[in-house]
Amino acid sequence: MTVGQDAGGPVPAARVRGMLARPEIGALIGALVVFVFFASLSEVFRSPAGIANWLDPASTLGIMAVAVAALMIGGEFDLSAGVMTGSTAIVTGLVATRLGWNIWLAIGVSLLFAVLVGFLNGYLVMRTGLPSFIITLGSFLMLQGLNLGVTKLLTGTVLIRGLADVPGYHSASMVFASTVSVFGGAFRVSVLWWIGLTLLAVYVLRRTSFGNWVFSVGGDVRAARNVGVPVVRTKITLFVTTAVAAWLVGTITILRLTSIQANSGIGQELIYIVAAVIGGCLLTGGYGSAAGATLGALIFGMVSQGIVYVGWDADWFKFFLGAMLLVAVLTNQFVRRYAEEAKR
Amino acid sequence: MEDISREQSDSSSLLQMRGIVKQFPGVRALDGVDLDVRAGEVHCLLGQNGAGKSTLIKVLAGAHQPDTGEVLLGGEAVKLANPTAAMRQGIATIYQELDLVDGLSVAENIFLGHEQATFGFTRRGEMFAATRKLLARLGHGEIRPSTEVGRLSPAGKQVVSMARALSHEARLIVMDEPSAALAHDEVTNLFRIIRELTSQGVAVVYISHRLEEIREIGDRVTVLKDGRTVAVGLPARTTPTATVVSLMTGRNVEYVFPPRPTGGFGDEVLKVEDLTVPGVVSGVSFTVRAGEIVGLAGLVGSGRSEIMEAVYGARRATGKVTLNGRPVKLGDTSHSVRIGMGLAPEERKAQGLLLDQSVARNITLASLGRYSRFGWLNRKLENAEAERLVKALDIRPPDPNRPIKTLSGGNQQKAVLGRWLVEGRKLLLLDEPTRGVDVGARAELYALVRRLADEGVGVLLVSSEVPEVLGLADRVLVVREGRIVHEAPATELDEHHVLDLVMDATPSHG
Repeated sequence: MTVGQDAGGPVPAARVRGMLARPEIGALIGALVVFVFFASLSEVFRSPAGIANWLDPASTLGIMAVAVAALMIGGEFDLSAGVMTGSTAIVTGLVATRLGWNIWLAIGVSLLFAVLVGFLNGYLVMRTGLPSFIITLGSFLMLQGLNLGVTKLLTGTVLIRGLADVPGYHSASMVFASTVSVFGGAFRVSVLWWIGLTLLAVYVLRRTSFGNWVFSVGGDVRAARNVGVPVVRTKITLFVTTAVAAWLVGTITILRLTSIQANSGIGQELIYIVAAVIGGCLLTGGYGSAAGATLGALIFGMVSQGIVYVGWDADWFKFFLGAMLLVAVLTNQFVRRYAEEAKR
Repeated sequence: MEDISREQSDSSSLLQMRGIVKQFPGVRALDGVDLDVRAGEVHCLLGQNGAGKSTLIKVLAGAHQPDTGEVLLGGEAVKLANPTAAMRQGIATIYQELDLVDGLSVAENIFLGHEQATFGFTRRGEMFAATRKLLARLGHGEIRPSTEVGRLSPAGKQVVSMARALSHEARLIVMDEPSAALAHDEVTNLFRIIRELTSQGVAVVYISHRLEEIREIGDRVTVLKDGRTVAVGLPARTTPTATVVSLMTGRNVEYVFPPRPTGGFGDEVLKVEDLTVPGVVSGVSFTVRAGEIVGLAGLVGSGRSEIMEAVYGARRATGKVTLNGRPVKLGDTSHSVRIGMGLAPEERKAQGLLLDQSVARNITLASLGRYSRFGWLNRKLENAEAERLVKALDIRPPDPNRPIKTLSGGNQQKAVLGRWLVEGRKLLLLDEPTRGVDVGARAELYALVRRLADEGVGVLLVSSEVPEVLGLADRVLVVREGRIVHEAPATELDEHHVLDLVMDATPSHG
């Protein structure tokens, strides 16, 4: 019986299998297939303008998917992630338009709000030992009610508008909502945020102590505790990170639209989880990848716009999304099993 | 009890625990425990399940806080407030479950919780180098630091756990049943590593149910019973087994096996002809008669468990198996159960038990058909039967509604066997029936198995503990490399002879 692996490094076939065992492989294949498919059917899809167009929805989704993936690797869910993109924007909008504060201050207030909500989610989950699914379902519904109730109470409508007239709007808009023209395509700056955050998440998860802790608290929380990993701190940090990612998306959204609907973001929480799972995250925690979640978001963006470019009815979008989810998960499972055989 | 031999603390003591008391709601788990461990020794901790061993090591690991009592390390009182504090004091604990994270690499696991990092960024090169050094020190330089731990064998994982203990510069390593998941040659390697460590001055607290191991590796023994220390510092090699067992149980129990029946056995229950499992078992034939216990002796990987699984239908196989003259459909476990087979699998927790369900549920699981009509269960009947069996099996505590995970290993195993106590069983297959069961409860299990046989059931037994096969079985089949190499009545064999047969021409990959 061999104890470890062979000393001389794996043979090429085993190396290929080792590569295939990476969590994001299914999403990578999926993204390539989807790209080739739509690019071959539509010239616009592969033009700079088209690329800019489908990168846009991918970017805001991707920012969230990366954070949600990290949280899922840590073994938790956050169903309030979707509504939080609306709540944070509403806080920014109300503080800026009702109190007349500088937009930067308003953004700062909503950041504090996001940290607080994330902390409460995490604290309650750790304190009660209840599944995060239930705790965040509770906070999701409460926030949904607050968004609508507070907005109507203060504005009389379900819409907060007039952000463009607030002091500091121009500079804030530059940072969060501008567009950059490259080869004739108008690329949103949110794409840069997305790429930056993905790189940061990949690096943190694989190359820092905190990243190791995330995998350990999701993979085997008892083991993590026994070796002295700060379990509570790690998980609360992940909830706060998710809420802060929602704050970033909320800020991007409100500055781009200069207004915000009270029901903004609701229903997106499951899409984030879908992107993370397409990217190779297990629902049981301890396994997954930030790069995979980003690829999942990319697939989402390409399909949502690609359907329009090839002239299909956009009503079919959800059908394709669901099919992508199943195909990706089955591919992941198949590939992983194939890779596992390498060790037998 | 006059065996208590409290020694005066001498200067060579590394660890001293004095008068440790730990109270849980409703249970006094530790009721004044003393432990004295010297640097460089292997100190064995013995006791039945529930004697307080796990609580004691959790106190040592910083996972539990004692209510009273003191812990001295190198002569100084220390407070082990949490696992990290214990590790800082140089106490590393290797639990049975090993506490490794499958998704992380070997190096990441070893340094989990105490990463070598600058501002949170891990210094991979350094960690890899340190990992290589630790693994080499343990004689396992072939394990690569970047390998995902989930891909290692149980033995490999254990080496990683030990490397982790060393990475904390542990002065004291606590090992909770380290040999439970290992094959024979891997245990030999484990002992080599332990000797290496102790020669460097590291003390090891070793917990095992296997007395033979304690004789081989241990220096001194401390015995716990009902949360108290009943003997301190007995010499591990020379203390007679009877003394140790009577200290543990508080009564004079020998390694008791029930008497064999004096009369002959009944008709042939099981007939196996030319059973082959590709690559593992080749052309095995044997029979089991009513009332007879047939033991399969062999090393892990010899094919002994596979033979049993193939007979039961849990494994693809070719050949001919008949039960009471009726052909058994190979590879169809539900057919096997229907015609009268019952299996108590090796990994009780994974394969045999619904841990969160009640004792009653677990007992009646295999015979639900008996209590149902048109698919509807008759709960009353089911519960009455469960209650009867809980009494008959002497399961403690005698509460059929308790979740089975709260029971000790021995009582869980009784419940698994109890499943097949219902009428109509013709053949019982037992794979490692006493794994993780303490010595006292073993005797009860042996008696139970014999009782089943006396009622006319044929029993096929697999155990890696040769004395168990020899003591319990009527006839022994020695399995090596997928073949039966010897067959004899158990009374004509001794342990030495069987071990010779089992290990003869040790397989090359072995």
